[in-house]
Amino acid sequence: MDIIVLVKQVPDTTEVKLDPKTGNLIREGVESIINPDDLHALEAAVDLQETHGGKVTALSMGPPQAIDAISEALGMGVHEGILLTDKAFGGADTWATSFTLGKAIEKIEEYDLILCGRQAIDGDTAQIGPQVADYLNIPQVSYVCEIETIEEDALVAKTRLEDGFERIHCGLPALLTVIGELNTPRYPLMGRALDACKEKAPIKVWNAADIGVQTSQVGLEGSLTHVIKTFAPKFKRETEMLEGDTREMVGDLMGRLKENRLI
Amino acid sequence: MIRSNSEALIRKIMATFVDKELIPRAQEIDEKGEFPMEMFQEIGKMRVFGIRYPKKGGGSGGNTTLYCIICEELARGLMSVAAVTAMQCLMGTNFLFHFGTDALRETYFLPAMGGEKIACFCLTEAEAGSDLGNVSTSAIRTKDGYLLNGMKSWVTNGPVADFYTILCQTDPAKKFKGLNFFFVPRETPGLSIGKPFDLLGTRTTPISELALTDVHIPCEHMLGQEGRGMSNLLSILAEIRAMTAALAIGLQQAALDDSIRYAHERAQFGSTISNYQLIQAKVANMATDLEASRLLTYKATHMVDEKIPCLKEASMAKYFSTEAACRAGDEITRIFGAYAYSMEYSAQRYYRDNRFLLYGGGTHEILQPNIARWVGL
Ligand SMILES: Cc1cc2nc3c(=O)[nH]c(=O)nc-3n(C[C@H](O)[C@H](O)[C@H](O)COP(=O)(O)OP(=O)(O)OC[C@H]3O[C@@H](n4cnc5c(N)ncnc54)[C@H](O)[C@@H]3O)c2cc1C
Ligand SMILES: Cc1cc2nc3c(=O)[nH]c(=O)nc-3n(C[C@H](O)[C@H](O)[C@H](O)COP(=O)(O)OP(=O)(O)OC[C@H]3O[C@@H](n4cnc5c(N)ncnc54)[C@H](O)[C@@H]3O)c2cc1C
Repeated sequence: MDIIVLVKQVPDTTEVKLDPKTGNLIREGVESIINPDDLHALEAAVDLQETHGGKVTALSMGPPQAIDAISEALGMGVHEGILLTDKAFGGADTWATSFTLGKAIEKIEEYDLILCGRQAIDGDTAQIGPQVADYLNIPQVSYVCEIETIEEDALVAKTRLEDGFERIHCGLPALLTVIGELNTPRYPLMGRALDACKEKAPIKVWNAADIGVQTSQVGLEGSLTHVIKTFAPKFKRETEMLEGDTREMVGDLMGRLKENRLI
Repeated sequence: MIRSNSEALIRKIMATFVDKELIPRAQEIDEKGEFPMEMFQEIGKMRVFGIRYPKKGGGSGGNTTLYCIICEELARGLMSVAAVTAMQCLMGTNFLFHFGTDALRETYFLPAMGGEKIACFCLTEAEAGSDLGNVSTSAIRTKDGYLLNGMKSWVTNGPVADFYTILCQTDPAKKFKGLNFFFVPRETPGLSIGKPFDLLGTRTTPISELALTDVHIPCEHMLGQEGRGMSNLLSILAEIRAMTAALAIGLQQAALDDSIRYAHERAQFGSTISNYQLIQAKVANMATDLEASRLLTYKATHMVDEKIPCLKEASMAKYFSTEAACRAGDEITRIFGAYAYSMEYSAQRYYRDNRFLLYGGGTHEILQPNIARWVGL
């Protein structure tokens, strides 16, 4: 079972503040982390590999410092890391990103399964997984919360829907996007993480030429969409105090949460 | 060649672990006052305990700087968890690793690296604290081994440890040259473990006395060449002091972080107290102490890693960083006002736990005259 995991390095948004004037994210001094959903994808891949054998490759597109995401993935037990980094990749929208990742996956060639997180906490689009599957023309299952069975040429995955679950049988190779319920990610092992820092670590760094793309096809130039402005939504918060005894207040609260489709 | 910086990477991994797993449980673990077994095993699973041992010996292939980074990060979460980790990585396992037989290493060292066995280190006795020359626990040569008799005190992890590295006197006439380390597994007949002390700080790190009554051990349980006990101890003394300094840095960082957060939240006289210059002065002093502690400590750890003698630098780091941690523990209890006096908030813990750093690795009354001597007095 050869598995590719798509990993994105993102700013730790639990620490991120918005500039009150511009509404932009203040990224200075903010730690970069592996996108939380991607940790679950990594865990699933390493776990599957441990039972079924094969090779796990972590693939990431990002600036050179995204190497830390690759190193952490190697620390978790991934066999090989590939960092796609090139000035030309900068400013990519989800289309250009999926295209770039797709090209790299074609270059990797051998794979049975591609795992990625449902969505990245900085962009929140949830588009990359499905678009990569579309580019590669392989089946996709999104919002996977359990991989029930897996065989040489097919798997059964359970996915989370708004109001229940769905059990999906799917041929391989396939792409799954996974959610946090799937598992508890392990922490990297010290020795493995240290090995990842060494020159002879199993890490490849590819640029645009390495994956055979023109700079016009990738990054900002290759993007079909352009962000005009980022801003913080203005919430008009209204506080309302519930009244009555605990039973009444809880009943009232539950009613309103349901009414607003929050639960 | 694009590669991660190992120090930054290990710090990041540990910081994530501390933020996600340790800090949210720190108060609860501390209140419970029991050895934090679950946390210890989680840390073991990450192969942290092998950080300063080479890979081919069962370690993780790191060095002293990485070890100290880990100690610092864990101490930012909870001093007692950092303390047992520090013990497991260095003093508790060092002599076994370097001088134990293959069989002993297989049975005790390797499981200890994964957190399956707990290590400890026994120097101190009732009459031998700073003055180790006074150690009187005796190891008498028999025809097939050694017979140990005596009493150790202040044994960190004593109540829960699986094996003990014990400093004994083989020949009182030889004084320091008669001091040697011996390896004693917990199940050895004649070894009895006292009940845990009731402690001021690091309350989940159990400490006890250890009584040895006709404990018979085979010859190969002497760890190190006869007569070299003290010089072998000296060979890790700089590392012990740098580690203690790193623990102190972690406490300072935690106290600083919590102070800043509290000062931003707490309003009095119509403004958050962060706007008052006297509060700013405290935070500025804590931050400056912290920066200086880091510079001293990691200078020393890098010297250890480069095998440059640095007992002076490590002693200065231990002395300065620990005193700074004591100041930080004091300042935070002022910034928190009355809430520092409540067991519900973190401030009280930093105030108590900083004392842990004062004694091990040399008291400051011992370090100061040494430093003075090293600089020419
Ligand atoms: C939390 C904790 C954990 C510990 N864990 C361990 C452990 O795992 N293993 C172990 O072996 N020990 C351990 N110890 C013991 C520790 O190593 C001793 O406390 C330390 O060596 C100091 O000895 P003492 O406490 O007997 O103090 P003493 O040596 O009695 O000192 C008392 C006071 O006199 C001062 N003093 C002593 N001699 C001089 C001098 N020549 N000049 C000036 N002042 C002097 C000291 O600085 C101190 O202020 C631990 C202690 C604590 C508090
Ligand atoms: C053991 C104990 C017993 C107590 N018993 C009683 C009692 O019986 N009855 C009772 O009413 N209260 C009692 N208190 C509360 C006590 O009076 C308050 O703790 C005290 O007034 C300080 O207020 P605070 O703790 O809210 O600190 P805060 O006022 O919040 O102060 C927090 C920090 O900000 C600083 N600060 C605040 N304002 C300024 C400023 N303008 N400029 C510079 N720095 C500033 C403070 O010095 C402190 O460092 C008790 C407290 C304790 C710890």
